[in-house]
Amino acid sequence: MQLHSTQEYPDRSPDAPVVECRDVHKAFGHVSVLKGVDLALRSGTVTALVGENGAGKSTLMKIIAGQEAPSAGEIRVGEKTLRAASVREAREAGIAIVPQELAPIPDMTIYENLFLGRELKGALGLLDRSAMIAEAGRLLREFELVVDPRRPMRELSLAVQQIVEIIKSTSTGCDVLLLDEPTSAISEVEVARLYRIIDRLRERGVAMIYTTHKMEEIRAVADRVVVLRDGNLIEDRPAGEITDDQIVTAMIGRDLDEIFPEIPPPRDEAPRLLVADIEVEGFGTPVSFSVRPGEIVALAGLVGAGRTELIETIMGIRRRRRGSVTVSGRAVRRNDPAAAIGAHMAIVPEDRQVAGLVPRLSILENGILPRLSRFSVGGWKRTALARSRVTDVMNDMRLRSASLDQPVAALSGGNQQKVVLGRWLTDRVDVLLLDEPTRGVDVGARSQIYRIIADLASSGMAIVMASSDLPEVLGLAHRVLVMRRGRIERDISLATTTATAAQEEIFSHAAGFHASPR
Amino acid sequence: MTQLIAAGTDVTVSKRLAIAAKVKNGMIANSMSLAVLCVLVYFSFASPHFATAGNLATILVAAAPFALIACGQTLVILTGGIDLSVGSVIALAAMSGAIVAKANPEALWLGIAVAVAAGLVCGAINGILVAGLNLPAFVATLAMLTTASGLAYVVGGGAPINGIPAGFGAFANTTLFGLELPVWLMFLVLVVFALLMRRTTYGTRVYAVGGNITAARIAGIKVRGVLYSVYAVSGALAGLAGGLLSSRVVTAAPTLGAGYELDAIAAVVIGGASLMGGRGTIWGTLIGLLLIQTLNNGLDLLLVPSYWQSVIKGALIAAAVAVDVFVARRKS
Repeated sequence: MQLHSTQEYPDRSPDAPVVECRDVHKAFGHVSVLKGVDLALRSGTVTALVGENGAGKSTLMKIIAGQEAPSAGEIRVGEKTLRAASVREAREAGIAIVPQELAPIPDMTIYENLFLGRELKGALGLLDRSAMIAEAGRLLREFELVVDPRRPMRELSLAVQQIVEIIKSTSTGCDVLLLDEPTSAISEVEVARLYRIIDRLRERGVAMIYTTHKMEEIRAVADRVVVLRDGNLIEDRPAGEITDDQIVTAMIGRDLDEIFPEIPPPRDEAPRLLVADIEVEGFGTPVSFSVRPGEIVALAGLVGAGRTELIETIMGIRRRRRGSVTVSGRAVRRNDPAAAIGAHMAIVPEDRQVAGLVPRLSILENGILPRLSRFSVGGWKRTALARSRVTDVMNDMRLRSASLDQPVAALSGGNQQKVVLGRWLTDRVDVLLLDEPTRGVDVGARSQIYRIIADLASSGMAIVMASSDLPEVLGLAHRVLVMRRGRIERDISLATTTATAAQEEIFSHAAGFHASPR
Repeated sequence: MTQLIAAGTDVTVSKRLAIAAKVKNGMIANSMSLAVLCVLVYFSFASPHFATAGNLATILVAAAPFALIACGQTLVILTGGIDLSVGSVIALAAMSGAIVAKANPEALWLGIAVAVAAGLVCGAINGILVAGLNLPAFVATLAMLTTASGLAYVVGGGAPINGIPAGFGAFANTTLFGLELPVWLMFLVLVVFALLMRRTTYGTRVYAVGGNITAARIAGIKVRGVLYSVYAVSGALAGLAGGLLSSRVVTAAPTLGAGYELDAIAAVVIGGASLMGGRGTIWGTLIGLLLIQTLNNGLDLLLVPSYWQSVIKGALIAAAVAVDVFVARRKS
């Protein structure tokens, strides 16, 4: 395990940047993704690279890591300009990336994955397995992982796989570590461990970039905040000198009040949705809450708090062992999405690519998918009726598409989200379940989606919205249920609480003891 | 050439280019239909016996049992599965049907009914294994391939079944409006399945399950039911094909239908379906089927040895999928 990078660049002074982006541009066809970004990283610092989806964060990381070539500009390490799109040269210069989507070889063991491509060999060039196991064990212990290096990768949780990936990068002597949304798939306990690992690497002098759009993570790890918006670097300040509001404003390009519509108060009627004593799979505590007509209830919490699981259980997608879901006074049969749809419930799932849409089918066919029986007689599709209803709804949603016969895969993220939401509105909806309704949606489409959600609420729907986006929670909801470990920790009414107080309360209850900002 | 087209005719040039591009795109999109046309034209010139009404009818009759199983196979492949068992199911269905027909000379239609029923049972078991027990389709239907093949021997005591009343041949050998019954049946099944896939909600369900099983489930589609049904349909159609094949020759052998599943899968794949599911059409399968059947027939007429025919078919399947991959990449 040699540290070649420092040997190759010996005359680097401690304050000189480890890696430097100079006027980096990137365009895909006519679409400009990066419009001249300058960024220099110093060793032993963590830079939070924040911005909305599509702001250019991932592209910038890929260019630094040599996975993509910039259209113009350069990446410099010391006095040397790195060859564009050369992963190998970037790696030799000490730059490593931990991608959002990990790609381990699941049937190989931990140590085999750790030493992939640089296996330790003994006499006769044969693999020296015992040396690799011993070395792997040492590295794992160093990173607080109590796990046998001979276990197959497949058996590990995503978070542990991620740490193995970090170990793999750092053990080869990296000076720059790029972490692309590292918390997107791991639980809160694991997030805390990740923070500790980041601290340790910082002490070792590793320069890190950490992309995220979550405020609590920025506060927990970052020394410096860099905001990208539409390919431009908007803010670059020490973390202590920028407020949350300033970060949000820089990210979305305008004040929060402008993108959230006026929300009328909920109707003073009996609850439309009643959830009583249901358990979220994997957690033992029963959950109960109710939502009135016209009310927007947000589910807040950290990754892994059980928000998605709760919503999917209510909709019958996940198994519900006990408890009841009641819509407008009628109990809904459990474990049966069709029954939930029949009870006028609708869901917009978290990941529209995975769970929302059938990419090859047209907008029209995706549009009728949840209501096939309404658009058919004896199994025969009523294409004309379907076309006119879907056209109406998609016009209301202001969907931008060439025609309804276009495959839905051809649409932008925001427009796809409009299809996922709009397709329910061809018929009555009493309860709308939204899971991260604006993930991967650009700012323009976002305010449109907020407008639609507000309109649906004022028409009398009961809306439950799981969201990791705090501004969205504060700007849209009447009430916030803070979740932690599968249970509701706190029920906050936003009508009677100021935004700042609510925000603090959400943080402290969501994070348990890990809430204190650095 | 460039000088002939003066600057003033820029508009016509761009128009011509647009038309040329359209033609090119159209040719790529319909490459398989073009391939069928080329094969037809080539054989028409190469052999005087090819382009005759009699020979074309022969091609259609030979295609009929393949068309039935290819329709079922299309549905299965659209859900992302595969049915390897259809060849042996044909044998088992033919043997069962033949025994029943032999025992009931006064009600020969029972033979066909039993064949379909036998196929349906095999398909239903495939469906239970795949949809109910979550076995991979490849493994489940491979098991059925072996089992049904063995049962076909068991049913006949290891020998072919002869001595079926001659009337049993009426089902597959009666001519109606110049074409034999199996050909009409093939047309009927193709039209019914084409409509089923395009015009009914069942078709949409099949595409949705194959295109994105999670999204289908969340949209309230009973995914298991859909999966179960496609294997049952595939089995029943294989049973019908088995009944027709034994009626055609008024006998049944346990080796009947061996290897048919490969031609059916090839037809579906040549027709542009994706083995990952979600993409493919009955029309495409028909084109793939016609290509294979025309080649079989034409190469026979040209006296090409059967092992060379296999080589040509193999190369064709690879080429068809290569073109398909190329087109898909160009689009994205």
